[in-house]
Amino acid sequence: MFFAVVVVAIAGLLFAGKLMSRRNTVAAGALNAGAVIGVQAPDFELKVIDGNGKTMKLSDLRGKAVLVNFWATWCGPCKIEMPWFVKMQEKYGPDGLVIVGVAMDDSGEKTISDFAKQMKINYPIVQGTEKVGELYGGVEGLPTSFFLDRTGKIVDRQLGLASESVFMDAIKKAMGNGAGAKPASGQ
Amino acid sequence: MRTALIWIGMWAVLFGGTPQAQESAASGGHSYVSFVPLDTVTVAQGHKAPVTFTFRVEKSYHINSNKPLTEELIPTQLHFSLPGEIAIGKVEYPAGILTSFPFDVTQKLSVYSGEVTIHAMVLAPQEAQAGPLTVHGELRYQACDNNACYPPKKLPISFNIKISASSVRKRARGNAQSPHIH
Repeated sequence: MFFAVVVVAIAGLLFAGKLMSRRNTVAAGALNAGAVIGVQAPDFELKVIDGNGKTMKLSDLRGKAVLVNFWATWCGPCKIEMPWFVKMQEKYGPDGLVIVGVAMDDSGEKTISDFAKQMKINYPIVQGTEKVGELYGGVEGLPTSFFLDRTGKIVDRQLGLASESVFMDAIKKAMGNGAGAKPASGQ
Repeated sequence: MRTALIWIGMWAVLFGGTPQAQESAASGGHSYVSFVPLDTVTVAQGHKAPVTFTFRVEKSYHINSNKPLTEELIPTQLHFSLPGEIAIGKVEYPAGILTSFPFDVTQKLSVYSGEVTIHAMVLAPQEAQAGPLTVHGELRYQACDNNACYPPKKLPISFNIKISASSVRKRARGNAQSPHIH
C-alpha cells in the first residue's frame, strides 16, 4: 500500500510540474504584443559583444534614456537604421542617451563583432537570447526598437524600419520624459 | 490494487507529458513559404530521373536567393536526409531576381518571391532495392518584407520515390560501379 501511495504521489507531482512548466512558457513579466506604452521595460542582463566577458543589465541604465534595438546581421532593414543610431548616439549620448543593440543572431560573437566594426557602431551590442526576445513580446520581426524614458518606462516602440525622423522624435520623447529628466540639447 | 495504482501513476505521467509535446510540435511559428506536394518520382535501378520542387513564397514577402549578394545574408538551400542508396544531385536553384526595396532603394538584393522551382536529379544505383521510398528534407530560408526581416526558418518537405526493377542487370551486385550524376 505504501508503495502505491508513493507511486501516485510521484505521478501527481510530475503531472503538476508539467502543467506549471507549460504555464510558464511565456516568461513572467513579459510584454504582450499589444499595448506596451507606459509599461516598465522588462529587465535583462546580457553578454556584451567584445566586452571581455562583461554583461550589461538594463536596470543599471536608470537615469538614462535608452533605445533597445533588436537586430541581426542577416537583416537588411537593420543595416539602414544603424548609421542613424551612430549619429544619434554621438549627438545625444552626452545628454544621457544610451542605445543598446541586442543582436538576435546565433552566428557567434565574432560574426556580430565583425559586423558591428564594419558598421562603425559606437554603442554597446549585447548577445540576445530567445528568452529576452519573449520578454519583449516575441520580437518576431527585425528591426524592433523600444524607447525607454529615464525611469525605464517604455514611451514608444517601432516595429520594422521607419524613417530617421520617426526615430529622432521617439528618442526626444524618451529623453524628455521621466523623473530626473535632463533637457536634451537641440530640443 | 497495487497494479491499478501503478497504471494510474503511469497514465498521469504520460498525460502530463502530452501538453508539452503538442506545444513543441506546434511551435514552428509563421511559415512564409509553402511546399507544393509533388507526384511520386519513378526511377529505374541504375538510372536517374528529374524532379522539380515547387515552393510558394507568401505574398508581400521575399526570401534570399541561393546566392545572395552579401555574405551575411542567409541563402535559400534545400537539404535532404537520404534513405538507402538513393542519391540526389545536380540541384539547380533559380537565379535570384535583383530587386531593390523601400528600405534601401540604392541597393539591389538577389531574392525569390512568388513561385520558386528547384530542379534536381534522383539517382537509383543498380543495387538499390526496388520498391517505394520516402525522402525527407527541408528548405532553409530567411524571409523579409518591405520593412522587416524574420528569423531563419526550416520548412520540412517530403516526397515519394518508386524504384522500379531494371530489366537488365548489367553487372553482378558486387561488381557495380558507384553512381555518378552528370
